[in-house]
Amino acid sequence: MSVSRRAALAYLAGAAALSACGTRKNIRVGSKNFTESFVIAEIYSQALERSGLPVDRRFNLGSTQIALAAMRRGDIDLYPEYTGTAAIDVLHLPPMHDPIQLYRTVAREFAQRYDLFWLTPSPMNDSQGLAVTSDFAKRERIETLSQLAPVASRFRLATIQEFVVRPDGIPGLQKLYGGFQFREVRTYDIALKYRALLEGKADVASAFTTDGAIAVDRLTVLRDDRKLWPPYNVAPVVRKQTLQTQPHVARILDRVSPAITDTVARQMNAAVESGQDPSDIAAAFLKGISA
Amino acid sequence: MTYAVTHFGKIAWLTLAHAELVFVSLAAASLIAVPLGVWAARRPHAGVWILGTLGALYTIPSLALLALLVQAVGLGFSPIFAALVVYAQFMLARSVAVGIRGVDPAQRDAANGLGMSPMQRLVRVEFPLALPIVLSGVRVAAIAAIAIATLGGYVGGGGLGALIFNGLTLHQPAMIVSGSIAASVLAILTDGTLRFAERAVRT
Amino acid sequence: MSAADILFEDVRVRYPGSETFAVDGVTLPVEAGELVVLLGPSGCGKSTLLRTVNRLVTPQSGRVLVGDKDVASLDAVELRRSIGYAIQAVGLFAHMTVAENVAIVPTLLGWSRADIDARVDELLLLIDLAPQTFRNRRPRELSGGQAQRVGVARAIAGKPGVLLMDEPFGAVDAIVRQSLQRELVRIVRTLKTTTLFVTHDVSEALLLADRVVVMREGRVEQSASPDELLDAPATQYVRDLVRAGDDVYRRYYLHLRDELR
Repeated sequence: MSVSRRAALAYLAGAAALSACGTRKNIRVGSKNFTESFVIAEIYSQALERSGLPVDRRFNLGSTQIALAAMRRGDIDLYPEYTGTAAIDVLHLPPMHDPIQLYRTVAREFAQRYDLFWLTPSPMNDSQGLAVTSDFAKRERIETLSQLAPVASRFRLATIQEFVVRPDGIPGLQKLYGGFQFREVRTYDIALKYRALLEGKADVASAFTTDGAIAVDRLTVLRDDRKLWPPYNVAPVVRKQTLQTQPHVARILDRVSPAITDTVARQMNAAVESGQDPSDIAAAFLKGISA
Repeated sequence: MTYAVTHFGKIAWLTLAHAELVFVSLAAASLIAVPLGVWAARRPHAGVWILGTLGALYTIPSLALLALLVQAVGLGFSPIFAALVVYAQFMLARSVAVGIRGVDPAQRDAANGLGMSPMQRLVRVEFPLALPIVLSGVRVAAIAAIAIATLGGYVGGGGLGALIFNGLTLHQPAMIVSGSIAASVLAILTDGTLRFAERAVRT
Repeated sequence: MSAADILFEDVRVRYPGSETFAVDGVTLPVEAGELVVLLGPSGCGKSTLLRTVNRLVTPQSGRVLVGDKDVASLDAVELRRSIGYAIQAVGLFAHMTVAENVAIVPTLLGWSRADIDARVDELLLLIDLAPQTFRNRRPRELSGGQAQRVGVARAIAGKPGVLLMDEPFGAVDAIVRQSLQRELVRIVRTLKTTTLFVTHDVSEALLLADRVVVMREGRVEQSASPDELLDAPATQYVRDLVRAGDDVYRRYYLHLRDELR
């Protein structure tokens, strides 16, 4: 009887100790719910850890809105964001096509409005686009968005939920190019949409220009001749408090960002899709640049 | 399943984190549930209301409750911990109540007659006798918690849920399968251990 | 603790939700060291009356005094630790060993470990269960008679001045019961504890009691020694109950009684 009482006390003491363990001052790195966001967030996380800073990973948070809400609420300290997404989805600014001007604008606005700071951006440009198979492009003789716009009613679009509603998604296409009334719009999980395209269940798929599948499956990205989509350069967005309490964060990530190019991005995305673990991919990337 | 082999360390670490989350939340849950269960046993009329309310909480879809908790306490460990504490209440409080109510009335009468205070009677006689039933309630609550805790992957709460949901996002079935199997193994081990404990305390 | 006397003063008990009084005005003195048997059919109030002594039951009116103190003015838990209590179902704590069961009141009273161990051994010997063998047994390993004996040992472990027993030998067969009765008389005589013993069994009452209190419907029919009951029953009910007119019966039980002494 005294044995079970002692056991109960040990149980409670252990529980209290363990729950206290969770309150260290780690840097909380977030990511959105797609592959590239994951990999880049993992690169940021490992870069910080290699410099001795402890990291709590809170990946897979969801869409832009959710990730930003988490930042503003203080649930995460930094996450990778795209200049184009910030300008159109968050700040609702008119389109800008100069990458540097765009970056400076969003950085200024985020600092003023949200107390969130953009670090050095990467060269990779993960813009949006509409992709088709090479066969389709040849057969229909469609190479640009202006060519697709009026005849979209003949075709089926495979896309993700965010694209249907975001201002620079279908609404933006319709506004700038006219037309784009697809015969059918189906939403898929983010990487399954290419499979729909390849299996003939869709004719057009919304795409990101650094998607691994584009290289692997030899897809064609239609030219954005009227320039709907601005550049989408990725950079770490960090909370003010974090920069103040952990000033090394900026230095560490600024050293990493310039190495993420278009080519590197597509390779990493393709690697994930072929089954490699993002941790391994990020580790290989960091080893490559520190060598 | 080479993923499981090459990433065994990571899977083991996540399984431990998962087990820790479940253990800590059950411990915290019992601090609330045991007094509630004792109260429900002592006062059957109030007990119906108490257990009824806890039962209603139990039927709230876990993802919905988790979303509400994220709004209240943010991401990470806190919301999934809070959700697990809420869900464990019904099973734990009910098994405490049933266990104590089921104690042999003669032993209860003897405890009173020999001069135990109500608290002494509870601690020295009623609770130890109720322990097999209480442990079976803990067992059921633990298995449920292991499953619900995988939702932690949605909210940055770590554990095997992170492995499973990241696997879903990254389209890596190996991660999903590894995470699921690890959770099942954890559940089976927990079940076995607690069954053994139940038998050990049976009088 | 030395034997105390008990006094019931016009005690009335009614259970909630019941029209009738379970105990309907009982006034009864019990002298220190007496073994008094409360005898009657089920529902006559004998168990209820017994349980007013250790405050497991609270009377609606009247007083119960133990050693000249009104039990209502004492702390209930402390009171019970000074009064031995043994019931028909025994209620040995299933998760404790025999030794732990017997030691329960001394433990509650805060005796030293050494004193407790000595007392347990002493009592096990008294009830004829070898300490070496039985100390660490569990209740489920005991026979009905052994369990009853442990129940009695547990009741007197704290050296109470008063012992309450509610049909403690009711659940065992006749042969075991006889040996238990013999043992009880021996123990009670040795310890000189004031004992209140409840039973519905007339022969048991006549065998054990210094004085028998016959109860019916919450009231005392007669309070007298067994001899007096047989010689001079106060009412027809008592006469029929103890078969006062039956000489053969009387001789048989008087004979058994002498044997017991």
